[in-house]
Amino acid sequence: MHASTKKWLFTKISSFILLPLMIWFVLNFVSIYDKSYSEVLLFFTQQPSKIIFSIFIVFAFFFSALTISEIFEDYIQDEKIKNVANKLLNIFAIIIPLITILGIFNLTL
Amino acid sequence: MQYKNNPLSPHLQIYKWQISSLLSIAHRIVGIINILAITIICVWSLLLLLGTESYQPINFILNTFFGKFIAVSLCWTFSFHVLNELRHLIWDLGYGFDLKISKITGVLALIGSFVFAILFYLIGRNIF
Repeated sequence: MHASTKKWLFTKISSFILLPLMIWFVLNFVSIYDKSYSEVLLFFTQQPSKIIFSIFIVFAFFFSALTISEIFEDYIQDEKIKNVANKLLNIFAIIIPLITILGIFNLTL
Repeated sequence: MQYKNNPLSPHLQIYKWQISSLLSIAHRIVGIINILAITIICVWSLLLLLGTESYQPINFILNTFFGKFIAVSLCWTFSFHVLNELRHLIWDLGYGFDLKISKITGVLALIGSFVFAILFYLIGRNIF
């Protein structure tokens, strides 16, 4: 399979998975954003919200890395700058969810 | 032939504004806003590690009008992205390419995003 086809397929599969996760997250975010420390903590520590949030951020950052690289493709002409931008984007898409998941799994009530 | 100075897509300075281009550009901008918001939410979740005392200033900000504005705005950006992404997925299945249908689904996605944003907020706040 061609690399571009593979990228397109990954984008579409991750976008399909993200749709219900985005709805789930926004509904939960609206219900907890202004709540007390203990209530917000409860959301991030109890199941299934802990695992669903972790899956959500993994797919969100994976999808964003794929789609933002398309924006770079359209707007950045210089190949060197484009490569650096894509590498930084990929590092960002791995580091942020990784640190967040490690943090969430270290949270205790 | 020199290609270096060719204009990059989507040639904003050339094309006339229409619903398809408006939604395409908005989809990209909203997508970036969403991932920035998710990044901030990740930081927000990590701040919980610092304990209840350190969380007080964040709780104060989120309880102001600004906090409500952020929540309502996220309802719209998420609902717009979900509906427009759904439109893209339907295109990928080979449906809705007709110009007229494409314009109708575009308008539906735009109007629907506001309706969904209100619904998300009301359901999230347990107002129903």
